[in-house]
Parts: sequence; structure tokens; C-alpha cells
Amino acid sequence: MSNKSLPDVFVEGARKGWNIGVSSVIPNVLMAFAIIQVFRITGLLTLLGTIFTPVMLLFGLPGEAIMVLISSWLSMGGGVGVAASLYNAGNLSNVHITILLPAIFLMGAQIQYMGRCLGTAGVQTRFYPVLFLISIINAAIGMFLMRLFA
Amino acid sequence: MPGKDEVQDVGASTKVPVWGYVALLFALVFFSGIFSGEKSWLSVFDFNIVNGNFGTMKDPAKATFTGMGGAGARDGYLFALGLIPACMLALGIVEVVDHLGGLKAAQRLLTPLLRPLLGIPGIAGLAMISSMQSTDAGAGMTRALRESELITEKEKTIFAAFQFSAGATITNYLSSGAALFAFLTAPIIIPLCVIFALKIFGANLMRLYLNKIVRKEDLRSE
Repeated sequence: MSNKSLPDVFVEGARKGWNIGVSSVIPNVLMAFAIIQVFRITGLLTLLGTIFTPVMLLFGLPGEAIMVLISSWLSMGGGVGVAASLYNAGNLSNVHITILLPAIFLMGAQIQYMGRCLGTAGVQTRFYPVLFLISIINAAIGMFLMRLFA
Repeated sequence: MPGKDEVQDVGASTKVPVWGYVALLFALVFFSGIFSGEKSWLSVFDFNIVNGNFGTMKDPAKATFTGMGGAGARDGYLFALGLIPACMLALGIVEVVDHLGGLKAAQRLLTPLLRPLLGIPGIAGLAMISSMQSTDAGAGMTRALRESELITEKEKTIFAAFQFSAGATITNYLSSGAALFAFLTAPIIIPLCVIFALKIFGANLMRLYLNKIVRKEDLRSE
């Protein structure tokens, strides 16, 4: 343990939070809100919602929730942003958000983490498909489990 | 990337100050949400209470400072701006808990569980705790463990499955996830526990796959 005072340590951590907020949370959430806006105006949101209604019903979710999962796969912040945007617009309820939350992370940011996690750790590329599949299975089970708590 | 010595600074000899356990316990309670409904002073032990509220606008039942009826990038910007305090508060507290030895305590408690839970040696404890905070740090340390031959190729692959699903869990959950905490119908610790349990489950799926489908000699190649 160093001699730094606790307030100094807290401020240091809060600064990390600020940096994550400014460099990751705001841009990702903003992108998610913009994408949802485009999807809403073009009618794609309703279309996707209709197509995925039967699948998402399995998890107790409306069809539009598929957008949360797709965008999570690209970035966790994006998934959270899409969820918030759909919640604000009344497409998702509190129960839906509760069901979705673990899945956003369990299958989150896989494209980025392919390089940052698997690449850095030097995992053999032939295992990548299995690793992607496992994360998606995790997310699906996560949604089933959260139905019990939501 | 951390060196061999740093990776090995994990064993049972690591001294955990008693404050470490107190800090860890505090963090578990604080982020668990168990005091969220508390009316007395005990509510100060709840993240959402300490994170507080923004002032409200005309129709205080619905509108925050972002107003009502917004959409698109502008609405997203104001919404995201509202997330920054949670992000700063959470990481500030994690930093304090870490400073007091709370993460060391977590590492000490987890180390003996790694072999039964994941089939990987306890020496991976530090890399595991680091991977909960930073994807890059966890992956770098995992590579260093493999290069120092402290874990086998199979153990590395199982460990990677653990890290890959919900990477940097704590940091991401408390920074991005915090945006949705206010909407949850369950305490905020529940989704986190589900995530953690499924990370372990997923790693064991990988373990099963490697044991049943991939032959031993295949794993050594490449």
C-alpha cells in the first residue's frame, strides 16, 4: 500500500471513470441513439421487430430487443445505448431491461475482443468460432435465468 | 505486458491486510443494492443512493435534465452525459477498494477455487482479477503465463473462454451498465452474479469441448 491519501486515490479512479465516459460511453451511446433514430425513421426497427418477435418471445422480450443484442455484439456501450433508447421510447419495459442486462455483456464487444482478448492471449484461431458460440450460448442462458429474477 | 515475476506474485505468500477483506466486503454490499430500499442512514451503503439524482424539470415524474421527447444523437448525448457520474463514482470506489487491498483479498479467496471451478492453476488468480477490470491486462498476463509455461495450452484456451465472454466485467458493468441500473426490477448484484456464473459455465463448455473433441496431440501443435 502506498502513502497516497484515500481522497487522492478516489479522485484517480474517478478520473479513469471520466476518461472511459468521454472516450467510450458517450461516443458509443450517441452512436446507438443515432442508429436507432435511423432505424426508426426508415421503418427497419418495426420490420426487425416483427421478424424477430417469435424468437425473442422465447426470452420474454419484444422483437425490437434483437437490436440490443446485435449492437451489443459490436460494442457493450452501444448495446446499453440501444436498450436505453428503446426504453425511453417505450419499446422496452423495466422487466425487459432486467432480462437483457447480462446478455449485453456476455455476448458484448466480441468483434473488438477478438483482437484485444483472444489475439493478445495468443489463442489458436481455429478455436475462435467455438469461443464466439459459447458467448452467445451464455447470453441466451443469461436471458432465461433473468426471467426468473425480473 | 507483465513479466514473469509480476505474474508469479500471486501465490499463497501474498499478504492481504485485514483492511483488504473489510474493503472487499464493503464493495460487495455497496454494489449489491441490498440497502437500496433502506429508509434509514444505512442507505448510504447503496451505490444508487450515493449516485443520487439530477434535478427534475416541468413534469418531475418523467423528465430529468434531458427533458422529454428527445431523440437521435442529441438525446443520446444528453443521456450519456448523465451516465458519467455513475462511471466516475464507481471507478473511484473500485480504486479505493483496490488501494486498501480489496482486490488482493478477492484474489486470495478465488485462487484455491480456480482448479475446481475452471481446471486452471491458482497461479492464474492475478490474471483473472485483472481480466475482470481490463480485457487487455488480463489477456496480456495470460499470454505471459503461457510463455513462462506456468499454464498449458489447454488451460490457456479455457481461461480465454472465461475472459472472452463479458470481458472486463467489473469495469464495463459499472461504467456502461450503470446506465440501465435505474431501470432494473432486480438488485444490481443479481445480473452481475448471473454474468459471473455464466462466465464459469462457458469456460467449462470450452473445457468439455477440448476434452471430448480436440485430441491431446492436436492441442500442442501450432
